[in-house]
Amino acid sequence: MEFSELQRPSSTIAHSYHGAQQLVRLRSKSVVSNQNGPQFNWGSPPSEGGEEGDSGPPKDLRERPMTMRLKRAIREVQQMRVPVVTSWQSWKRSKAKSLSRFRADAGGVMSYVALWRKALHKIGGHFGGGVQSYFIFLRFLVVLNFLSFLLIAGFILIPSIVFRSTSTSNMTVDSTGPEVCKVYDPNLQGLVVFYQYFLDLLSGTGFMEYSYMFYGYYNNTVAESSGFHYNLPLAYLLTSVFYFAFCLICIIARMGSALRVAVATGSGAAGSYSKMVFTGWDYGCQGDRATKLKQKSIHYQLQVDLEEERLQKKALSLTLGQTVGLCSLRIFLMLISLALIGGAFFGIFKATVFSQVQVGAEGILGLFWVYLPSIVITTGNFVVPFMCDQIALFERYSPSTTIIVALFRSVFLRMISLGVLLFTLWSQITCFKDSPKCELCQYNNKEYPCWETRVGQEMYKLALFDFLITIAMLILVEFPRRLFVDHYSCVLTRWVGRQEFLVPPNVLGLVYGQTVVWTGALFCPLLPLINTLKFFILFYCKKVTLFSNCRPAVKTFRSTTSTIFFLVVLLFGWGLALVAMIYSLAQIHPSMSCGPFRSLTMMWSIVPNTFYTLSLTTQDFIFYMGSQAFSIPLFIFSCVVLCYVAALATVYGKSVDLLKAQLKLEGRDKQFLVKQIEELSREMGVPTRDQLDTFDTGAAN
Amino acid sequence: MGTTASQLGKDLLSEYQELTFLTKQEILLAHKRYSELLSKEDRNLTSVPMEKVLSLPELKSNPFRKRICHVFSTSDMKDGSLTFEDFLDLLSAFSDSATLEIKSHYAFRIFDFDDDGTLDGGDLEKLVNCLTGKTEDTRLTPEEMRQLISNSQISVLQNRIEQLEQLLEENHQIISHIKDSCSGADRLWRCVPQRTAALP
Repeated sequence: MEFSELQRPSSTIAHSYHGAQQLVRLRSKSVVSNQNGPQFNWGSPPSEGGEEGDSGPPKDLRERPMTMRLKRAIREVQQMRVPVVTSWQSWKRSKAKSLSRFRADAGGVMSYVALWRKALHKIGGHFGGGVQSYFIFLRFLVVLNFLSFLLIAGFILIPSIVFRSTSTSNMTVDSTGPEVCKVYDPNLQGLVVFYQYFLDLLSGTGFMEYSYMFYGYYNNTVAESSGFHYNLPLAYLLTSVFYFAFCLICIIARMGSALRVAVATGSGAAGSYSKMVFTGWDYGCQGDRATKLKQKSIHYQLQVDLEEERLQKKALSLTLGQTVGLCSLRIFLMLISLALIGGAFFGIFKATVFSQVQVGAEGILGLFWVYLPSIVITTGNFVVPFMCDQIALFERYSPSTTIIVALFRSVFLRMISLGVLLFTLWSQITCFKDSPKCELCQYNNKEYPCWETRVGQEMYKLALFDFLITIAMLILVEFPRRLFVDHYSCVLTRWVGRQEFLVPPNVLGLVYGQTVVWTGALFCPLLPLINTLKFFILFYCKKVTLFSNCRPAVKTFRSTTSTIFFLVVLLFGWGLALVAMIYSLAQIHPSMSCGPFRSLTMMWSIVPNTFYTLSLTTQDFIFYMGSQAFSIPLFIFSCVVLCYVAALATVYGKSVDLLKAQLKLEGRDKQFLVKQIEELSREMGVPTRDQLDTFDTGAAN
Repeated sequence: MGTTASQLGKDLLSEYQELTFLTKQEILLAHKRYSELLSKEDRNLTSVPMEKVLSLPELKSNPFRKRICHVFSTSDMKDGSLTFEDFLDLLSAFSDSATLEIKSHYAFRIFDFDDDGTLDGGDLEKLVNCLTGKTEDTRLTPEEMRQLISNSQISVLQNRIEQLEQLLEENHQIISHIKDSCSGADRLWRCVPQRTAALP
């Protein structure tokens, strides 16, 4: 592998000397495009020339930057020359050709199938890559949720439906425990008012509570019929665990591909403007408006980067006193923002406790109490970042640092507020401070006869409320704002202006929604499906508001690093949900009145129980795998593999740096050589530009 | 020789397919668009004058449109007119599947405003002015321009096709800038903005 890497510089040297020859001609005559390509060696056999010489000749020709006329001439010559190849090689070549043609056709078909491809193109063309990365992230979440739903449906939902409808061959093991713990009657229906259904739909109670929606409906059936054995509780548990693992694998795979791009792109150090200047233009921009916007955004970005460089230089030249003052100011403001966030947490805690106490209130007021935690969280998520932004104006960080600090604050706020909600719920269920209530059943059975369903309902409410708020914001805030700005023009409207589509808050909203789904999936198996629909509708709503109400941002948002940031934040959410799931599986006693785990003292204990029913040889085998005789050699082996891969990575990194330095040196060499050739040609009276022109055009024809 | 016939021959089509990075549908679409440009002119013309090419909606607002026409034109009179094969070369260089070498070669030539084979300070200044806009209030101030040029390692960039390749390699994802996607739909260019703000 390294051998071929070292070979590459020599071929680029050959290329560059060709190019050097070329450059003398380039400089001394005007542009005639068919002459400006690199030289083609007419005498070489078809398979040589070009670094990708192992694919057949047709691909080779395309990669040469020559005019069509030249390429066709070369192709004719190649076809006239009969290459001496064996039948095996010609068969291989024809197969390779048909394979590449098949791949091209398949690629064309796949691009039609990809979800929302045209919409994403259009969004990116008009609003840039930052906004497009938000929609790509949204699409990723839709697909992830849909696949998770298929997983859950296949292993939990469909077997449950089947077992319920064929209630012959199941065994329901009743739990052992005090009778009062087994009381659970969700169907307190009498004559209900019509709008009760609507309220039930919003809060997951009533007709929705005892349904496939929530944990409480599933039985702990172990179906056995003619050799087919299906243990539903075990399936429930393992599917939930595997669902988490599956999501983790998807996120890491996606992050891997984004990281590869980011590493190749290199760090965006201020001062490296060449990248932006040479690769900054989007040739897909359509129309005058998009072009002007792109020009404005490039202008803005260049100014920002130049400003950042100036600020950096200035920061280096600050005196000690000024630095100390700046640091203390920043620490003070950071403490203020942390205090604000802490205040929000306290508010959420109080609201959750109060809401749990108010269970059973009727009507709209009851709905309000029930939704109180969600309301407080959403209010906090609006107010606190806004105030932190105002604080950030005084902190005088550089622009990119400001964005990162603001993002981290928002992420912290959102994730921890959800964590506080969960903590209060759990403390209520397990009677954190008030032991007498929980003595009988090890959980608070008076207020939570089926606590898993309650938690599931809470997560369902959070997800639904999040969705409703987004739609409400769209209809009640964004559309009126646009109408107002467009039809009236006064100082206020000009100052407010049209909505700008801010990517970070929107992404955090998505991550929050997904974290809620992960937390609630164990207790509300249909939540991934609901989330799929929610995100699906959200895509279209956001697209509509983007095109109707928003003006494109002048301040563009980096898309490569931002994709990684989105996925990292998603991983935070995943971690939080994982902690919640582990705590529920391993610490809290499952409800004795409902659900698949009603006969167990701990949800996880189904696994050891089933394990001991396996055959003795299997048990011995698994014990052996867990024992020291196996795990220590495995650990040592994986350490060795890790060291090898790390060493390989270091070596590659070093060789990449070496090659980069070599390229730079070659460049300088070429510059020197060209100067020499200039001087020599001047001294020796080399033919003038026009003479060379006629010579070349004569040679070509 | 560009063809003005309403149909492309089958072997000509497959030849073009082999020699460019375009698919069959894209070549046919390109032929259709090219014929539309010629439709009002004399049928015997083999190349389309630059003004007509610049009237294409995809090129109309592009700040580099004149440079693109000059680079891809093979006309002896150097007037930027394009034959059909030049047009295909243009589309091929800008397509998704074109290699880095092709793209960097043509990018270098497009950015080389004075056609001297080198990218020097003057070229860079014109380039930045194209990028930021022609009007006075969208240009960088002279001090900013000086700061930018001095920081762009411009001395290393002269004659540096390989250096440009290396830069473009680093921004391989952003290379999709320099492309249009002829996705076989009814419009020749679709907005392909898969990176935009991957700005350092």
